[in-house]
Amino acid sequence: MEAVAEGLGLLLDPFNIALILGGVVIGVLVGALPGLSSPMAIALLIPFTIQFEPVPAISMMAALYCAGTFGGSITAILINAPGAPPAAATALDGYPMAKKGEPGRALGLATVSSVTGGVFSLIVFIFAAPLLASVALEFRPQEYFALAVFALSMLASMSGRSSLRNLISGAVGVLIGTIGLHLTTGVERFTFDIPELEEGINFVPVLIGLFALGEMLNQSQVLDKAFERIRATATKLPSIKELKELKFTILRSSVLGTFIGILPAEGSTVAAIMGYNEAKRWSKKKEEFGSGTPEGIVGPEAANNAAAGGAMVPTLALGIPGSGSTALILAALIMHGFRPGPYLINETPEFIYAIFGAMLVANLGFLVIGLVGAKFFSLVTFVPSRLLWPAVFVFSMVGSYAYGASMFDVWVMLISGIVGFLMMRHGFSPAPLVMGLILGKLVEETFSQAMIIHDNNFFRLFESPIVLLFFALTLLSLSSPLWALFRDRRRAAKEAT
Amino acid sequence: MSKETDGAGGVEDARSSEGVARLLHPVDTLLAILILCIVAWLYYETTQFEEVSDLLTQNIPPQMFPRILLVIVALLALVMPFEHILLKRKGKDIDKDRRAPVKRIAWVTMAALVAIIIAEQWLGTLLTMVAVCLVIPLLWGERRLRFVLPFAVFFPLCVAFLFSVVLGVYFDPGVAGVSIR
Repeated sequence: MEAVAEGLGLLLDPFNIALILGGVVIGVLVGALPGLSSPMAIALLIPFTIQFEPVPAISMMAALYCAGTFGGSITAILINAPGAPPAAATALDGYPMAKKGEPGRALGLATVSSVTGGVFSLIVFIFAAPLLASVALEFRPQEYFALAVFALSMLASMSGRSSLRNLISGAVGVLIGTIGLHLTTGVERFTFDIPELEEGINFVPVLIGLFALGEMLNQSQVLDKAFERIRATATKLPSIKELKELKFTILRSSVLGTFIGILPAEGSTVAAIMGYNEAKRWSKKKEEFGSGTPEGIVGPEAANNAAAGGAMVPTLALGIPGSGSTALILAALIMHGFRPGPYLINETPEFIYAIFGAMLVANLGFLVIGLVGAKFFSLVTFVPSRLLWPAVFVFSMVGSYAYGASMFDVWVMLISGIVGFLMMRHGFSPAPLVMGLILGKLVEETFSQAMIIHDNNFFRLFESPIVLLFFALTLLSLSSPLWALFRDRRRAAKEAT
Repeated sequence: MSKETDGAGGVEDARSSEGVARLLHPVDTLLAILILCIVAWLYYETTQFEEVSDLLTQNIPPQMFPRILLVIVALLALVMPFEHILLKRKGKDIDKDRRAPVKRIAWVTMAALVAIIIAEQWLGTLLTMVAVCLVIPLLWGERRLRFVLPFAVFFPLCVAFLFSVVLGVYFDPGVAGVSIR
């Protein structure tokens, strides 16, 4: 109880509240603008917030993360261009409903279901995170190593075009993490006589380059893309009758989204797609999907916002990111000197309560924005790309420079951005690379410790049932694309007969 | 007769080479070769790491973990040329984003950004920001100078104020000596 009071005390500082609300506004803006994304905004925010105390810094990022997921629905509904990938499923029914002359109703449904999903997942978060952390406290290096390997294997089922490429990106991320002095021997690895590389590659410029510059180069090719806009009307709250009809869809999606969020590496995009599919599967009016049915809006919206809260559970309780955005929050925690994981929750529980409070405030914040300001926020799409993206680059440049006051980091950002842009063209997503980069140190450290404990006998790691469980899950996760293919073929064969 | 056999063999050869071509995705094959070359180079680099005594390494030498990763990347890269078959069955189009070549403007933007960052040592951070805000919009075809000029002046000033004055970050004034502090 003392920790709850202390956490709320930290949260209720006027400066913190201002930062959280700032995070909500930035999040909705970034979410609403096609091309800009929450991971990009969080990456750009890290150098800015590094000067603050950890609670306000992480609270602002968590608020931005929640609001960014919601913001994408505004443009998905009004211009059929999801501002963020998790809102892509919302556009399937949101835009047709808006086109039928009910944009206010579509925005209202999206807002209410988003807040419900978000708050539901936060309730799960506040109970599940300490519980999971208490279990994880018993983990030894071998169990932690197996858990980290399982998290990396989940990249195979992460959203993106290719599981194989996600795994390659993840492995490359872990490899980048090995650059610099070896922890136990002090041997230089992959430094190529560049003194700046001795301490390893700084996270921030890589993250900024991959998410901001990579996307900027992508956007440079579609500068004249025009959107058909639907004039926004005032947001209309769904009636009690309508909510009663939709309650099971919202609840189902909230549970599903939270669960998917808790799984390592799975994020809001997967949750939204599954939320939409499940809403359709359980619906009595399947044929209306795609033509503006309310279930097609609340299903993905409740799921993607629930995934945001769910993803914070493994991030804070285990130090294993639940999504691309939480991987960046994890990087920020590390930069603030924390080692995310069970010890963080056990030793500083007030910190977790403060983050929980910040996310709750963020949900209430975007409820207000959704109901009152959606019309205004939809105007951000009028900002000319030709000025917006150079502004993003200026922030990228200064953000990369600010952390270490080094132009070397600006070069790292530039190279990461160009490589990231070329990688994206060939189906490699930046999120798995970031996950690998952030988990890299943990994987190597725990692997070395586990091997030393077990006299360098890898097979002795399997003496632990937890290790066995995680490796079994790893195998399942790696084979999931093949299982999915097998299932699809069986279904197709069934339909043919 | 022998001619006929040659002909049949020729058709068979052509068919089998066509089959192999269908199995291997040409762009992904090139990508896989590139990745394998980088892996080979980095693997060689691991052989150049400083030697340390076993007592210090506790049998976990510094090159061990990077080598495991390099082998994993190499194995995954070997599957890449065939991945399109699986993706096609799942209805995914791996070539969607790369079918059209990279537009000239993207290469020009890259070159301009590299040139501006090289010039930073002379321009200093503030003027570099001004250069980005002026050059990129013009390069991207923005001709409304009434928007571009104020943007190129005031936006960098605001960013410099935020980072330099509020957050206390030191900005290089460059040879030109222009700084907000």
